[in-house]
Amino acid sequence: MTFVNKIFFYFLFVSLIALFFNSNSFSQNEFQKQLKIQFDFAKELYNKEEYFDAITELKRLIFFDKEKEYSYSANELIGETYKMGAKFSDAIQYFTLAVIHSTNNEELFNSKIEIIRVNILRRTIDRALSLLDSLDSDKRFSNKKIDISYWRGWAYIFEDKWNKAAQEFNKVDSDHELKKLSEQVENSKYSVAEAKILSFIFPGAGQFYTGNYISGILSFGWNLLWGYITINSFIKDRIFDGIVVGELLWLRFYRGNLQNAEKFAEEKNKEISNKALNFLQFEYNGPKP
Amino acid sequence: MKALLKFKKWLLQDLYWILNENFVMKFILIFILLFSINIFPQVDKFRQYQDTTDWQKWGKANYSYQHQEPATSEQRYYSLKGENFGGTILKSFADAYWFFISDVDGDNCSFNPTCSSFFIQAVQRTNILQGTLMFADRFTRDLNLFKLNHYPRVEDGHFYDPVSLYTLNRSVIKITPPESFVNTE
Amino acid sequence: MIPTICLVFLFFSQAFPQKDSSDYFDINSTSNIKKFADYLFCADDYLRAALEYEKYLSSYYNDTVEFKIGLSYSRIGNYSKAIEWFNKIKNNSGFSNDARNEYFKSLFQSGDYYNFRKYYSENIVNNDKIRNLDKLFYFSYFFTDDELPPRNDFLNPFNLKEENKINEFYQRKTNPPYKSVAAAVIMSSLIPGSGKIYTGQIGDGIIAAIATGLCGYLAYDNFKAKHNFRGWVFSGLIAFFYAGNIYGSAASAQIYNAGIQFNFQNDVKLYLNQQNYFTPEYDFCK
Repeated sequence: MTFVNKIFFYFLFVSLIALFFNSNSFSQNEFQKQLKIQFDFAKELYNKEEYFDAITELKRLIFFDKEKEYSYSANELIGETYKMGAKFSDAIQYFTLAVIHSTNNEELFNSKIEIIRVNILRRTIDRALSLLDSLDSDKRFSNKKIDISYWRGWAYIFEDKWNKAAQEFNKVDSDHELKKLSEQVENSKYSVAEAKILSFIFPGAGQFYTGNYISGILSFGWNLLWGYITINSFIKDRIFDGIVVGELLWLRFYRGNLQNAEKFAEEKNKEISNKALNFLQFEYNGPKP
Repeated sequence: MKALLKFKKWLLQDLYWILNENFVMKFILIFILLFSINIFPQVDKFRQYQDTTDWQKWGKANYSYQHQEPATSEQRYYSLKGENFGGTILKSFADAYWFFISDVDGDNCSFNPTCSSFFIQAVQRTNILQGTLMFADRFTRDLNLFKLNHYPRVEDGHFYDPVSLYTLNRSVIKITPPESFVNTE
Repeated sequence: MIPTICLVFLFFSQAFPQKDSSDYFDINSTSNIKKFADYLFCADDYLRAALEYEKYLSSYYNDTVEFKIGLSYSRIGNYSKAIEWFNKIKNNSGFSNDARNEYFKSLFQSGDYYNFRKYYSENIVNNDKIRNLDKLFYFSYFFTDDELPPRNDFLNPFNLKEENKINEFYQRKTNPPYKSVAAAVIMSSLIPGSGKIYTGQIGDGIIAAIATGLCGYLAYDNFKAKHNFRGWVFSGLIAFFYAGNIYGSAASAQIYNAGIQFNFQNDVKLYLNQQNYFTPEYDFCK
């Protein structure tokens, strides 16, 4: 066999090997490029806020991605997209798929935090807290205690437990902006129990405590009037009249006075909370749900 | 076995001829072998995906962090705007009732709309006489402490009892099954 | 030479399994769009499936795809679009019968019962062996106020198993157990609250009776004790509760009757859903 023929024969042999054991490598690179383009296209749609179409393209990517190279990032982005459309259950479903397809602890942690953030947004706080507890007890994330405390603080904010939120932010940083805000909100809130007790003792006092003066005056006036008529009726032995006025009128306005004291305190507290939540949503620059 | 051996001999003879004597065939063979690498597609079973149903196109949602009132909480509208003379008189009395009495004596009506609102709406939809009769019937039904299974509910727990059911106009009666939840928005 | 040609042929036969090689590089190729659309269809993501199929049709005509687009829109409740697509399927297509069935089913589901009956009557094919659309045709009468066809004609397309149920529906439609508004009014005029008890509002009826009775007693008692003002107040309350109870009885009878109709139509819709509107199931995803 000549030297050229030997070279040719070796080349033929190598080609055959390549054919059977690595037949896809050349085409595979082309295909991976296609997938990258597809992912970038989907991301562009997401950035343009064309969410429905972005999800279509991401699902197309996942369908054709046989090597599961984009499983994590595509599912993560689908979850983000559903979250932008406030479709929280669907978002959680896809973040869960991202958890399943995560390739390292960092990706796993990030996906789990996304699930927690969506639970906070849809106000399933118990679920968010239990997920945070499970992250806390997971030894793989022992270096993530600060992040966990931070999101636990947010969960408490959405649950309207500002004092607990302040405690969690304190673990992040004793001078943390959210710690100061939470303490401020907690201190400016009215005590519902106090309002009710005040109104129990003195009709209208609870309303005065919450700043609803007109309601307080009216409440006091009605209770005074019907109370006087009721007692006067009993004194004058008009028992039936006393029972009717006392039951149908005095008790009604007294109960109303207690209800209003509670309602106004809760309304004021809600106002204070909502003001803080509004600030957090539109003016706070740190990570948010 | 004999046939296989014969085939092998032919193949080797051919290969020898191509490799040693025929340059064109050599070239064609290399070309074919090189490109056959590219035309073997991946054959793999596609995976089952869990999917959700998006049966309508949707876009960005503007959700708020703030605590929201339940959608069906009744709001009081004190405005006299858009009322005719009779409506103004009626609404003024209603506003006075709400301000001096109803807002002070607490939540006493288990229905949505409340009895006073029901009366206003009934008179606005029909006339003062029919509206009063509808209100009288509503007031009687409100006295019934055992109305648990007769009315659907709204989000804040009140019983849903709209005016449209009682105008004696069959075409506007829209039945909602009892014990179901209603969004009055 | 022959063994070499055989060898070359072997390579080529392995190298070209089923599809076009351009699929491999382009996930947006026409055949890949269809693959993806089929997957979406089987995953119940019908709107996306329909949009993908429509993209596919811009390059190729395929009556199966047209039919699946119609099905997709029908399943998401977009009946007008479903009807549009079913109408596009040509008469010489293998899906023409199925498309016709689905077209009428969509018309029915959209609530357009009059047009459903009108177009169906205009399009009856002679010797049409498909009885299912006949069934739907008769069922449409349950949702309108038109007079029902005679019972025998009505039961004709249904088999023995279905007859009992259809008979029951027929009976409920022709003789619904309505309450008489006039009877409720008269009863409440004579005995306060009885009209409400007649219409099934027992609690309300008892309360109306007690309220009217109590005010009556209090009026009598106050007049007797020469408390005339209170007497007139309670007399006014008697009139208030009495008139309200009569009006309420009439309204209650109307609401009761509306409830009968509502429950009947719900039961019919439930039955139709269970029978898949008398149309076959398709096995596109098996």
